[in-house]
Amino acid sequence: MRSKKIKIGAKLYILVCFIFFYLPIAVTMFFSFNSSKSLTNFTGFSLHWYSKLLSDQSILAAVYVSISIAVFATIISTILGTITAIGLSKSRRLLKEWLLNVNNVPIMNPDIVTAISLMILFSSAGLQRGYITMLLAHVAFCTPFVITSVYPKVRSMDQNLPNAAMDLGATPYQALTKVVVPLLKPGIFAGMLLAFTMSLDDFIVSYFVTGNGVSNISILVYNMTKRINPTINALSTLLILAVAIVLIGMNIWPVIKEKRKNKLTASGNAKPRRNSRKREKVTFWSVTAIITLVAVVCAAQFSTIANKQTLRVFNSGEYVDMSLISDFEKENNCKVVYETYDSNESMYTKLQSGSTYDILVPSDYMIERLIKEKYLKPVDWSLITRKDAIISDLVSSNEYDPGCKYSVPYYWGNVGIVYNKNIVSREDLEEGWEILKNTKYKGQIYMYDSERDSFMIALKSLGYSMNTTSKAEIREAYNWLIEQSETMDPVYVGDDVMDNMISGNKAMAVVYSGDAAYIIDENDDMEYFVPDEGTNEWCDAMVVTKYCKNMELACKFMDYFLDDEVSKVNTEYIGYDSAVKSTFEYFRDVAYAGNSGCAPDQTNPRNEVFHNQSQKTKEYMSNLWTKVKSN
Amino acid sequence: MKNKPIIELRDISKNFGDQQVLRGINLDIYENEFLTLLGPSGCGKTTILRIIAGFEEPSNGQVLFNGENIAKLPPYKREVNTVFQKYALFPFLNVRDNVAFGLKLKGLDDDIISQRVDKMLSMVGLKGYEKRDVTRLSGGQQQRVAIARALINEPKVLLLDEPLGALDAKLRKGMQIELKKIQKEVGITFVFVTHDQEEALSMSDTIVVINDGIIQQVGSPMDIYNEPEKRFVAEFIGESNIIEGNMIRDCLVKFDDIEWECVDKGFKPNEEIEVVLRPEDMDVVDVDQAKLTGTIVSKVFMGVHYEYFVETSYRKYKVHTTESYEVGKEIGLTIDPYDIQVMHIS
Amino acid sequence: MKHFKGFAYPYVAWSFVLIALPLLLIVLYSVTQGDNSLLTIHFTFDNFKKIGDPVYLNVFIKSFEIGLIVTGICLILAYPMAYIITLFDDVVQGILILIVTIPMWINTLLRTYAWISLLSDNGLISQFLGMLGIDAPTMMYTNFAVIIGLVCDLLPFMVIPIHTSLTKMDYSLVEAAKDLGANNLQTFRMIILKLSIPGIINGVTLVFLCSISSFVVPVLLGGRQYMLIGNLIENQFISIGDWNFGSAISVLLAIAILLIMSLMRRMDSEEKGAEE
Repeated sequence: MRSKKIKIGAKLYILVCFIFFYLPIAVTMFFSFNSSKSLTNFTGFSLHWYSKLLSDQSILAAVYVSISIAVFATIISTILGTITAIGLSKSRRLLKEWLLNVNNVPIMNPDIVTAISLMILFSSAGLQRGYITMLLAHVAFCTPFVITSVYPKVRSMDQNLPNAAMDLGATPYQALTKVVVPLLKPGIFAGMLLAFTMSLDDFIVSYFVTGNGVSNISILVYNMTKRINPTINALSTLLILAVAIVLIGMNIWPVIKEKRKNKLTASGNAKPRRNSRKREKVTFWSVTAIITLVAVVCAAQFSTIANKQTLRVFNSGEYVDMSLISDFEKENNCKVVYETYDSNESMYTKLQSGSTYDILVPSDYMIERLIKEKYLKPVDWSLITRKDAIISDLVSSNEYDPGCKYSVPYYWGNVGIVYNKNIVSREDLEEGWEILKNTKYKGQIYMYDSERDSFMIALKSLGYSMNTTSKAEIREAYNWLIEQSETMDPVYVGDDVMDNMISGNKAMAVVYSGDAAYIIDENDDMEYFVPDEGTNEWCDAMVVTKYCKNMELACKFMDYFLDDEVSKVNTEYIGYDSAVKSTFEYFRDVAYAGNSGCAPDQTNPRNEVFHNQSQKTKEYMSNLWTKVKSN
Repeated sequence: MKNKPIIELRDISKNFGDQQVLRGINLDIYENEFLTLLGPSGCGKTTILRIIAGFEEPSNGQVLFNGENIAKLPPYKREVNTVFQKYALFPFLNVRDNVAFGLKLKGLDDDIISQRVDKMLSMVGLKGYEKRDVTRLSGGQQQRVAIARALINEPKVLLLDEPLGALDAKLRKGMQIELKKIQKEVGITFVFVTHDQEEALSMSDTIVVINDGIIQQVGSPMDIYNEPEKRFVAEFIGESNIIEGNMIRDCLVKFDDIEWECVDKGFKPNEEIEVVLRPEDMDVVDVDQAKLTGTIVSKVFMGVHYEYFVETSYRKYKVHTTESYEVGKEIGLTIDPYDIQVMHIS
Repeated sequence: MKHFKGFAYPYVAWSFVLIALPLLLIVLYSVTQGDNSLLTIHFTFDNFKKIGDPVYLNVFIKSFEIGLIVTGICLILAYPMAYIITLFDDVVQGILILIVTIPMWINTLLRTYAWISLLSDNGLISQFLGMLGIDAPTMMYTNFAVIIGLVCDLLPFMVIPIHTSLTKMDYSLVEAAKDLGANNLQTFRMIILKLSIPGIINGVTLVFLCSISSFVVPVLLGGRQYMLIGNLIENQFISIGDWNFGSAISVLLAIAILLIMSLMRRMDSEEKGAEE
């Protein structure tokens, strides 16, 4: 096939394909230098996101976890896979077939099934989830790839070579290291590369099996959807560059050497072979050295964590200013193991499947459920010095946890519609929730992917309580949603709604009031509106789980966020209505003055607070919601 | 030459699963001898070699090395080295490093290693090839590297597993002579496995003919060729006419209803036997000078001689002679008494 | 080599605990009901019956549709690519393959994010088209976005095996075909294509597997209403907390995929058989 003229069209085709490959990567890199947050408007060059990246503890920790897991998983699975492949070729037929078939399972099985099966395994075994479980899982799905790339090499190897080595006086171990491994090197290397790639890129398996604050880059990014954070672009730019340099170096270097060598031989100096072998040795040892270094550093890092007082906090993604966490750590000489989730339900699943945390930040109805299912410990209010800073209504007229026995309010708000003033007319707003069915705005609506809030809208619109347990009423609400889905073509989104609304992609979106405040702050065309039929008044609060062993530190943590200064910084970042009275008033009257998303009206008697649903109602509603979405 | 056995195989048998490849092998291998294990493929000869080398454990029996049982000793503790069928050179090492492999394992000084490698390479005629990539050598050169690699460890016994099998005919002849020369030079025992009878005949001090996991005959090349004790040996080595007959008495045998004088003794009167007649031992004479007559039915020129098939009233004989006769000619056949080899029926 | 026989034993234990056992657990969950602990076992096939609901069946059908479309597009794009790459000399070939592999090293989520900013309603592509005076259609949260995202993500998995099988090919066969009077097209169809079938089967398998069970790309580019099997399973486990039903779907998905795989393998071996 060589030595043929390649047509220009063919070259062009390759070029176009590569552009397609690299378009997203180029975009990522380009916008990492953007001075603003936008991912679509380049406002000016800045290295702002890079400096932010270097100071962001959680991102650095995630990079750390990703790389160290990948390195460890690669080492372990390469060794395990290689020796298994060697042993396999000598095993009895039955054993061989069983192993090769079982080995195919993780390769063939969809990632999600592997992930879930491992999650179930770890939770059934009562294993504390975190770094170790993640590593085990990675080794479990990487090893089969190593075996499949090494095994054919073992089979095609001249079986007499290891015999020859032993014949010449090598012990079996020497024969293995001096003959068998060098012979299998191409296969081992290919398997190693594959394992490393798989481990580094994995999201699904890690997502399901991790816990206790251990997140890799993928998990972090996934939980970051709330506010697209260009530090991630900076991170991926750096990763891309590192990968590109390493890979290109590895591939180009031998070529350059080869050329230089050819020149040397041409000029009569012929001793090339030895050199290349020396180089291989150097590469091998330097790679080994780097790996060992990373391993040692990782181990050191984790042992320091083990020595300090620790607090394990499980919070919604982007729901705290991370700099405050590090300040708290410094102030109290402790370590906060911080992990995020993407919904109350996924938090609950994690809890249920055996993850343990000290502090959670769930919403009202989930707190009710956790209290009922005895997951929580009462808060020791005597340790909370800033108790009076909390808006008193949040404590006194609290339905999910009367008198705040178990919870310390964090942020609160309601659900409404954020709309584009220039598109949506004032009169149409009079329709209340029914505006979401006004065909004038067909294709212009984002619905929020929250089963209870969506049913809340339908139920309120129909004049029912959003806490109804009547199947008939829920059914009616379902029909409302189906009808809306059919006539309006709404898009059901998660937290990406915020970026979409800031970019002005559609006219209306169902959002939380705090998110609306943030959207309005970023885009002046937007306005927030709460229908008169009533809405969900929610409150998120910090709670202490029964697993917490250090109530004092936990209370210090919660107390810390009631501090006026701290809560102002935090609110600045989050944009929700704070439970701290002074902060709330400051934002209402000064910082966010005139922002309709801030300080929503909570006086409407038709507003309600979510209560915990019975499992039956919940399942009924969940199924209907799945049907609505996939309609 | 035959002073004392260095290796003794005592009642060795070997099973792979339910397949029995060796059945009760008893064999003495002496110091400084060139011993060849000869037999068709699958006869078990390579297995014997692998048992001596230590790659296989016998299912039964003993392997004595200088009187000590080594049947369970791993290969790296034995004072034997092997030249493998396809050489088994390490492809990732150059010529020098391949040869030095065993010495490096022993942890010898680099200087000593270099010295001995140089000496070895010049012995096998590969001086100047030190830095060559073994995968780029010719078959013959690879062969020499394999021999040098094994001999440098100064084994008491060198095992060679069909080492010439992959070479072309011409190179093979050359290597045969060279191997024999090397063996004289280093003065150790060579155990050589082959299925090529010519190779065995030309190189060996002792030939062990094996078939179906059983030793058929042990003897010098001359013995094996001229006095096969079993039909298998006669058929496998050289060409032969094998005829059933009766031993009338000592030195008188009868076949094709003709009584022949021979030199064999020690049979029962009238015992049924088989007679081996080598084609080149049958002399063509005029019809009236022979007891046995027949017609030439085919004639093929073989280079040095002609091969004829002669149809007699009992059978077709294969006859080799340098004389040329026409097909269809009536001839007589005579055989000298010492050219008649009588065997027990096996 | 017999000394290394025992080397496979540790993995036997490992594979039992971390591969076989988890699968058995999933199967166990799929035929039971109750809360998500194994202590309250109650056997039932209701979980499987539930999948018969048209809503869930549609999710299956849609996933397979998307899988087929993505696999098809990848094959059409990747084959010429792999073929053209083999035309270059060795050094350039190595570099081109490297360029194909680099994206695989970059987090899928990060790459998918970039597609969001490209495809969204006021995103880069529609801005670009706007400059050309073209009114861009909605791309985000559509089949189009999901397919583009998946194709971009999975294309290397198709290019590399095909390229490997093409470079392994004995070029004298091509020469022989030409010698026997085949023109370029005939040579391609009868020899090259035929010999690269193992690579195609490998690539198709990989891409189909990954796309059918993908989970992140549909969520991010298709919106929350974009339900493929992966999302359905995630939903059951995480949001709804019905592990039994989630397991039943997983089991069904695994069975479907194993069936397809064995079918593919049979095709592969028949192909080989026909050659011999």
